[in-house]
Amino acid sequence: MFDRPTEFDHATLLAVLARADVTRLTALAETLLPQLVEVEVLHSRTGLVMLPMRDTVKGTDFHLGEVLVAEAHLRATGCEGYGMVVGRNLEQAMAMAVVDAVASLGQSPEILAFLATESAEIIVRDTARLCEVEATRVEMETF
Amino acid sequence: MAYVATRGGARAIDQSERLYRAEFGQIDASRVDTLRRALPMLIDRVMGEASLYEPDLAALALAQTGGDLYEAVLLLRAWRTTQPRLAIAAPVLQDDLITHRRISAAFKDIPGGQILGPTLDYSHRLLATDVLQGSPYTPTPVDPAAAPAPAHQPSLAAWQKAQGLVADPVREDVAPDAIPDLTREPLLFPAKRAHTLQSLARADTGGMLALGYAAMRGYGNAHPTVNELRLAEAEVRVTHPRGTVFSAGRVKVSQAEVTSKGKSGQLNLGFCATLGWNEVKVISGATLDLNAAAAPKGSPVEEEFFLYHTEPVEASGFCIHFKLPHYVTFQSALDALRGAKTEAQKVPA
Repeated sequence: MFDRPTEFDHATLLAVLARADVTRLTALAETLLPQLVEVEVLHSRTGLVMLPMRDTVKGTDFHLGEVLVAEAHLRATGCEGYGMVVGRNLEQAMAMAVVDAVASLGQSPEILAFLATESAEIIVRDTARLCEVEATRVEMETF
Repeated sequence: MAYVATRGGARAIDQSERLYRAEFGQIDASRVDTLRRALPMLIDRVMGEASLYEPDLAALALAQTGGDLYEAVLLLRAWRTTQPRLAIAAPVLQDDLITHRRISAAFKDIPGGQILGPTLDYSHRLLATDVLQGSPYTPTPVDPAAAPAPAHQPSLAAWQKAQGLVADPVREDVAPDAIPDLTREPLLFPAKRAHTLQSLARADTGGMLALGYAAMRGYGNAHPTVNELRLAEAEVRVTHPRGTVFSAGRVKVSQAEVTSKGKSGQLNLGFCATLGWNEVKVISGATLDLNAAAAPKGSPVEEEFFLYHTEPVEASGFCIHFKLPHYVTFQSALDALRGAKTEAQKVPA
């Protein structure tokens, strides 16, 4: 068995929350919400993120196009939380912001367990897909 | 400038729209969901040309326009203008792409190997007519390999640069918010490379194919071979208010490099990428990029020619505007014709 991490770094925490199961994320956020005092929602909105890409021929950065995202930003006594997810699910972004805010005060066993479960599921999904991709590997031979 | 009034227009226009929409009936969430799941390649094409990644909205646009691609792209581009821009993500780098398909037609032993990924390239093109007789077609599931493919594949162009096979120009670092952006500034010629590649990324697939195919058939100056074709997912890396850069999720992207032998003893490369998975578009676009450098003025592979003529909203809009009343303009042309005819028929005194 793998040991459960004692803490997730902030970038990993946010990336896992952004790809976590939405129903479970929302349920976690609802249980954590009472820990936040005087919550003020700064943003709950959809909007665009421009996605640049680097050209592999001349190394030029250019804009590939825009991605619709949902964003939530909240402030509570002693902490701030932020969520941004690809798509337009405002509830998902707000749940992410709530968990981020509570986690900034300390990653409780409840949050750690959630992150461990969700990151493991993400790895399982990605690995399953890459096993399917690997099945399409070919060797080219010329005669 | 002259104007034309259409009597009874409001009612007729209303009825004509009803007649159009009656063809495809009620639209509900279930239909949109079905379209999104059943037609991912079409959804990708619409998102790429609209330059807006949101599969549900692309499916809705298709449902609402009865599948008219140009109208769907127009709807999405129009809707996009209602949204604020929240951020510019970190640039997507090829080495970071989660790669689902990656092949080269020029080099068989590429670093990382050849991975066909999802493709119909080697399939039989047989219509499953049994479906119409009541026998559902169920695709056979993949037999997965025991071990996963590497998520990231090395860059073939980087290897070629290291071998001295292709030029390795010094790149200039540009902050993401300083990257030239066609949605906020006009396309001028000679175009900045960032404008060219952004314009190709959002261009019309059919238009690019037509012009790219012209180049492939000989109306260009370089015959392409696919150096690398890649279908992948890219992380959308944004910045948290506390400064942490994180992935807010993934989007599908395609990219292609095509190559031909250059005159300098090196290989020349052309490049194109787009949102969504759309191979025809990126191979055609890369072919146009490859040919653009030495293109004669007015040829289909000249940058100004192909960028102006493959912008889907401008091109389709200009085309269909010819359906709108041109009576005054045309009457003027008729008057000129009749005048010339009268002059020609005058018997010299």
